[in-house]
Parts: sequence; C-alpha cells; structure tokens
Amino acid sequence: MRIADLATETWEALDANRGRSLLTILGIVIGISAVITMTALIGGIKQSLVSSLGLNQARAIYIGVYSGNSVTQADADRVAEKVSGYKFVTGYNYGSASVTTGNKQKNAQVVGVRPEYFEAIGKKPGSGRLIQEEDVSSMSCVCVVDQNTVKELFGDVDANVVGKTIRMNNDDYSIVGIIPAQGAAMGGGTTVFVPLTTSMARITGSQTIDQMIGYANEDADVDELVSSTKSWLERYYQVEPQQEQGQESGDFFGGAISVYSMKSIAQQLNSTMLAFQVLMTTVASISLLVGGIGIMNMMLTNVTERIREIGLRKALGARRSDITMQFLLESVCLCLAGGIIGIVLGYLGSFGLAGLASGMTNGAPVTPVIEPAAVLLASGICVAIGVAFGYYPARHAARLDPVESLHFQ
Amino acid sequence: MDLVLDIRDIHRVYESEAGFTHALRGVSLSVRRGEFLCIMGPSGSGKSTLMNTLGCLDTPTSGSYYLEGMDVSMMDDDELAEIRATRIGFVFQSFNLLPRSTVLRNVMLPLIYSNNCPVQEREARAIRALNSVSLPEQYFDHKSNELSGGQMQRVAIARALVNDPALILADEPTGNLDSATGEMVLSTFQRLRNEGKTIVLITHDPEVSSWADRTMHIRDGRLLTDEEEREVIRTSTTRGRGLT
Repeated sequence: MRIADLATETWEALDANRGRSLLTILGIVIGISAVITMTALIGGIKQSLVSSLGLNQARAIYIGVYSGNSVTQADADRVAEKVSGYKFVTGYNYGSASVTTGNKQKNAQVVGVRPEYFEAIGKKPGSGRLIQEEDVSSMSCVCVVDQNTVKELFGDVDANVVGKTIRMNNDDYSIVGIIPAQGAAMGGGTTVFVPLTTSMARITGSQTIDQMIGYANEDADVDELVSSTKSWLERYYQVEPQQEQGQESGDFFGGAISVYSMKSIAQQLNSTMLAFQVLMTTVASISLLVGGIGIMNMMLTNVTERIREIGLRKALGARRSDITMQFLLESVCLCLAGGIIGIVLGYLGSFGLAGLASGMTNGAPVTPVIEPAAVLLASGICVAIGVAFGYYPARHAARLDPVESLHFQ
Repeated sequence: MDLVLDIRDIHRVYESEAGFTHALRGVSLSVRRGEFLCIMGPSGSGKSTLMNTLGCLDTPTSGSYYLEGMDVSMMDDDELAEIRATRIGFVFQSFNLLPRSTVLRNVMLPLIYSNNCPVQEREARAIRALNSVSLPEQYFDHKSNELSGGQMQRVAIARALVNDPALILADEPTGNLDSATGEMVLSTFQRLRNEGKTIVLITHDPEVSSWADRTMHIRDGRLLTDEEEREVIRTSTTRGRGLT
C-alpha cells in the first residue's frame, strides 16, 4: 500500500466522522494548548525579567559588604586595583526623599552614582544625558530618572521632562536625562539617580557607599572573578569565609560579603522557572493521558463500526500490516490535528494571559515567546500519543478474521 | 486441460465451544479456465466454507488447493492476501461497497493493495472494468450508496474484475436483488464467461444455477456424485436451462 493511498483513506475516514473526531481530540487540544501557553508565557516572563533585571548585562558584578565596616569609594577602587579582571568598580548609595513636582508629592528612592554606574547596568540615555564626572566633582544638583519615574511624577511615560526641575529635601534638582524603565527587581517604582557626592552631602549625609558594582573586562571569566573578588574581600575585611551549605558561590542571600553576577541570578531564575514548568507539565500530561484514552476509545468504536469494511479490505487483498497502518495513521492524524489546534489556541491563549502574567514581573510587559522547539516537541508528543493509544485498536482491527468480519451484522 | 483451480480432498474442521464442526468432508473439485461453475446447496451444507476456502479467506484443515498451479494451502497470511489482491475477485450478496466513496474509488480499491498496477493506470482500468459490466458513465462519480441494487452489484462485479483475476467468486450475488435485476447481473456473468473469465458462483437458487455451464451440489460438507445429483435433479421442481 502506497503512502498516498494510505493518506487518502485516512482523510476519507476522518472526514466522514468530522463531528466525532473533533470531540475526541478535545483532550489533546486542551493538553497541548496548556503546554504551549505555559512555555510561551514562561519564555515571555523570563525574557521580560532578563531585560528588566539587566540579566543580559552578564559582565556586571554586584558587591556588597555588610560587616559593619564603613565602605567608601576608595575601597571600591582598591578592589578594582587588587583583583585583576575589572574594567572598573564603582560605588553607589541608596537614600530616600520625598519628591515634589508642581503640586504632586511622592516618596522616591534616591541612588547616588558615579558616571560608570550606567555603563555597568547597561543603560543608555533615552533622551538628554547621564550623570557626568563634573556633576560628581562639583556636587551639582542634577538628576537622571527612568521612564517609570517619569510616569509616576508627571503622569505620562513619554513626557519630555529634560530640563524640568524636581524638588527633593528642599533642593531643586534639574532633570538632565531619562533612561529606559528599570525593572521591578531593580527597585522599580520611583527612582531618581543623582551624583554620588551630591547624595552623600544632601541625601544620606554619610560618606559611605552601600554597594559596589564591578564591570568585568571583556575577556574575563565572570564566575571566576566573582569567587576571586569574594575571597579577596574576605581576607581584606578579615571575615570568616562563609560556609557554603550546598549553595553556589555568588549566592546573593546572606553573608557579610556578598558578591554575585547577573549570571548567577539568571541561573537561579532558570531553576525557579523549571520547577514551575515541571508542575505545569504534570498537569498537561494528565490532560494528554485522558485525551489519549479518549482517542483509544474512539478508535475501538471506529473499528467495531467498520468491521465489515475491514473484512472487505482483507478480502480484496489488504494485509494485516495494511490494516494496522490505516488505523494507526487515523489515530496519529487525529492526535496531530488536535496538537495543531492546541498549538494555535495555546499561542492565542498566551497572548490573552500575558496581561495576567505581567503581574509576576511587577508590571513589566510580557510578550509570549513561541519557541520552535516547543512546537516541535508538542507535535512529537501528539504523534507519540497517536501511536501509543492507536496501536491496540489498530492491532485489534488487523487481527479480525476476514470471514467473520465480512458477515458481521 | 488448463485448470484454474484444483482442490483435492479438502477437509475443514471448526473448533467451537459447542465442539467440533466438520464443515467440509473431503471435497475435490477442478475448474477449467473459462468455465462458469455453479455450486448449489442449502444453508448449512458447507457452501460458504467452500467459498471462503476457494477465496483464500480460510485455509483448509487438510487437503491440497492449487490455484493456477500454485499450492495455496501452505501459504501464510500475507501470501494469501497477495493472492486475494491479484488472483481472486469477490462478489458478495450484500455488495459490500464503501458507501461514502464514489463508484470509481470503489472499483479502484483492490488496486491499492496490489503492487502490479501503476497509479496512473488505475483509473483507466477501473473505467474499463465498469464498461465491461455496462454501467453508464454518468454514475462513475456517484457515491455508491446513491445507486440501485442492480447498479451496486455491477459496481461490485467491476471491482472483482479490475485486477484481471484468475477466478471470480460470487457468493449469492443475486440474493438481495429482485428477479429482473438478478437476471441482468447473471447475464453480466455469462457475458464475462464468454470473454473467457472463470467464474464460480454459489447459490441455493436453482433458477440461478441454470445460467452456469456446470452445477455441482453440496450436501453436508460433500459434493454429490453424478448419481446423487441426478436424484437431486429429479426431485427438484424447477428445471434450469443449463442442466441438460
């Protein structure tokens, strides 16, 4: 029997039972659309987090010292000098202030930074300029805000506010530049960047920095740099090396010295997402199993209904394998059709749920990501289900006795 | 003498819950090429079993069966399927057409199971077969369930012919037809016989047997001898044309 003949026979058989075929594949449709929705959303969430966290900034290394020592920019410079592999290490501090614009008042996080900071987190000005060296040396009252903050303070995310003035702690700061929105994990909300020295003098009132951010040289091994920085800092501050209870070095939870790169965050994010994925896959598998049993049930009914046809085909010279193939192909096609419908529905569904999912990324937009691998995998699963649950009915059909089935009433 | 089929001392025993059924008890029979043979018998006489055996749908418990000189009693399932696909054409009492397929597709059905007909020739062969059963061309694209009984049976005969088989086996082909239509179908068989086809027809109707060249009677799993047959003819109320 030729493939083309097999295909024609299959199409005719399925076409004849269109309504029932559609109902039967519903389980598969639901299972596959769940899988596709899930992978598309997870892909989207991941991408959204990656871009908002600046996870693509794989060269940035965050260094925190919480040992009670006061840390200054000089310490940051020493790290850059003593640990090889850094292009620079820059310190920054956090403060808070209430910001007044016109008649609006908002609490904001104020980050005191040096010019290099923006290079390390990979932000370029959307409009205007960034904090510059002269701003730092002259302690000028200028600031850079991100788009979220523009929206918070001025109500319109696209408002051109460069040159406008905001008031913090009784000082007027003029906005010199706007950078793209920060992600939630980076502080989100209302964030104002000012020169480090300005912040020390007018916001935090302390000469210390809260954290450093290092920028690795292009050819440096970031993982190695993380651990060498950590051990250098432990020696420098005479801190007991942290017990690494199964945790990877660079873990950003706990410890007096914390050194981590975005790479390690990305890894953690991946493992969190994986757990989520496993859970969803389990749920989808149950749906697919139920769908598969539905297919088997329909195929068995199908065989019983068509016993005379099977007898006839055998009388006309069909071999067992011809009959097996015919019924197997029918069930595979059913499942595959279910899979294709499921993929389309799942894709549409993932766009429908994207708004919901953006809750998980704290407002950052989520665009579902369709990976060809997921589509291929889903199709593969459908074929496998078709074969697995179609085999028994097909074998049953092939083994029918031609004489008996010809006279079946 | 060119024998299309030659069976010797065929036995067929069925095993069922009720015990053994001895359906065929030593049947021997040969059919020449171009012969129209009718096998008659009441129900339960074993004629269906004989038909299934001749059609390679069933294998005898013992005995030999040569179809065109090939020993088919020793063949396995797939080889028998190949024989059915290429050497045997079936015509059934209940037509057994695929109701949703067109006439042409029904006739072409055996060709998809045999490897000796190129795809592009299929339609031409089906049309030739349909022409030889005199089915008007306007019906070729009809669904087979839109035809009358007589037309359906002619489509079924065309399907049996399409592979140019050695043997056409017809099992009560007129059983579901009124007598006028039945005669039309039988005359189709007779015309095919005149074209050199070998036909074995099974029936319980003496009227039908009168169309054949030769009639054999089966009773209780055995073919009757000439003497027993004369007895049957004497007692039968109808006298057919073919029995002289």
